[in-house]
Amino acid sequence: MFEARLLRSSILKKVLEAIKDLLTQATFDCDDNGIQLQAMDNSHVSLVSLTLRADGFDKYRCDRNISMGMNLGSMSKILKCAGDKDTVTMKAQDNADTVTFVFESPNQEKVSDYEMKLMNLDLEHLGIPETEYSCTIRMPSAEFARICRDLSQFGESMVISCTKEGVKFSASGDIGSANVKLAQTASIDKEEEAVVIEMDEPVTLTFACQYLNYFTKATSLSPQVQLSMSADVPLVVEYRIPDIGHIRYYLAPKIEEDDS
Amino acid sequence: MGILGLSKLIADIAPQAVKEMEIKNYFGRKVAIDASMSLYQFLIAVRSEGAQLTSVDGETTSHLMGTFYRTIRLVENGIKPVYVFDGKPPDMKSHQLNKRAERREEAEKELQKATESGDTASIEKFNRRLVKVTKQHGEEARQLLKLMGVPVVEAPCEAEAQCAQLVKAGKVYAVATEDMDALTFGADVLLRHLTFSEARKMPVQEFHLNHVLSGLELNHKEFIDLCILLGCDYCGSIRGIGPKRAIELIKQHRSIEQVLHNIDTKKYQPPENWDFENARRLFVEPEVADAKDIELKWCDPDEEGLVKFLCGDKQFNEERVRNGAKKLMKARTGTTQGRLDGFFKVLSTTPNPKRKAEEEKKNANKKAKTGGGRGRKPK
Repeated sequence: MFEARLLRSSILKKVLEAIKDLLTQATFDCDDNGIQLQAMDNSHVSLVSLTLRADGFDKYRCDRNISMGMNLGSMSKILKCAGDKDTVTMKAQDNADTVTFVFESPNQEKVSDYEMKLMNLDLEHLGIPETEYSCTIRMPSAEFARICRDLSQFGESMVISCTKEGVKFSASGDIGSANVKLAQTASIDKEEEAVVIEMDEPVTLTFACQYLNYFTKATSLSPQVQLSMSADVPLVVEYRIPDIGHIRYYLAPKIEEDDS
Repeated sequence: MGILGLSKLIADIAPQAVKEMEIKNYFGRKVAIDASMSLYQFLIAVRSEGAQLTSVDGETTSHLMGTFYRTIRLVENGIKPVYVFDGKPPDMKSHQLNKRAERREEAEKELQKATESGDTASIEKFNRRLVKVTKQHGEEARQLLKLMGVPVVEAPCEAEAQCAQLVKAGKVYAVATEDMDALTFGADVLLRHLTFSEARKMPVQEFHLNHVLSGLELNHKEFIDLCILLGCDYCGSIRGIGPKRAIELIKQHRSIEQVLHNIDTKKYQPPENWDFENARRLFVEPEVADAKDIELKWCDPDEEGLVKFLCGDKQFNEERVRNGAKKLMKARTGTTQGRLDGFFKVLSTTPNPKRKAEEEKKNANKKAKTGGGRGRKPK
């Protein structure tokens, strides 16, 4: 028996919004510690890693580890049926081929349940090596979303370069070029609005705007976003979901042609 | 012609070995394309009002049209194509080629009949059957590809075998062909429908040899024997043994020799002088050029050259050709998107945990039933 209850359905709704454009289907691995999801998009350019800890749920019970393959489009449709303030409960029997979502309105007057078929998914689990990153940048998530949106109008790819002075995002294309520089915040009054850069070595990498724009769908989950970069390894974009877990996106950089 | 019924067999028995992908997922991949197969495809498919496209003198240009635009489509999607042309057919294929010639003659007769009776549907049908890729078609396609900056490889013998060799050597990611024998030749990844027209909206089918083998529970040697039993280009097969029987027999006996030893050869007669051993040898050690000596180089397209070659007599629209050349040029600049596969290691693949669970359940049910039966008796 698996049962997980959240007081606010909005968290789950936002999580789904944050992954459904990248992934069409994914496996939710549930065990004692909570729910984990790890999946690459079809072209193996990006990876989503989601953790929802058991202690973040209002109620959490998982007798046997189960993996539930879900069609994220269908799941998103179901979650759209829930009000933001509704309580949501996910339920599944051991070895079941369906999962049930129960939504309860705050005054308990309306209870709805939706059952969804699970899928038989064949998924690869990737080992993500612990990496020391040369640069980590923390900044307001809305600011990052804005930069990605603005720069994607100029070109398909965006260069992120992190130096002592700050971090620079740039793009260029047919209409011209765009540069956005952010300096480290001098005095931190509000932590949520701060730009904090930790750097051992300067790094410059190029990424596809399209994917960054998919990642920023997670903006509403967290006021801050953390970017971690090292030369020639994937970028990590992390959103911490308050009190329950995090969502991490990995994105392979664009590389210069060598032989062609 | 490939292997008879292999793709259906794989889809039935090892569905997990076939993946449907979108063409855009192959960005940055180098792909070897079986040229004669795709030229044939173009001659059949690229038509206007049922007739092939022609130049002023009535020479066919369908193959050039196809090669030009479909290659551009691949390149625009970030794919780096290599075209591999057939050399001499192996001696063992002569039988198959004779058969094909016979069929052409038949079609020609039918065509005449149809023309006399004015049956337009049949005229078109038999016209298509008469399509043949000639030396000249090949020559023109080579010339065009060179102008487009796309590398061409000349296979000493069968193109599929050469493609497979390029995959095995890691020079390219996959073979793009409709014929399944590339798998028999040992190509790790085979793509079907890659050169189909965009309008057909066909997803690209990706076959992985290792998944095919594990799905069929065979090793590569046994797989080759299976393909020969199914029917290949190099020798006949046993009458009365279809795909289902073939896979059963190979699984049971593990080689053609053992199969012959164990089946009733009167009921299932193998062809006279059945030379399956040589056919097998052709699959295991085909005549190919060493991939190490093949250098694949993509160059800038020659816009003026393309215009000169395609426009004028061949009646291509100059503006569209120039546009095409620009697209080729644009795809060459800029950076390529990397993939995560190189950075992270696959820890485990969970092959359908639920299916396994279902099987376990079935077994459990069986046990429960038999147990229950025994329990009841003493009452």
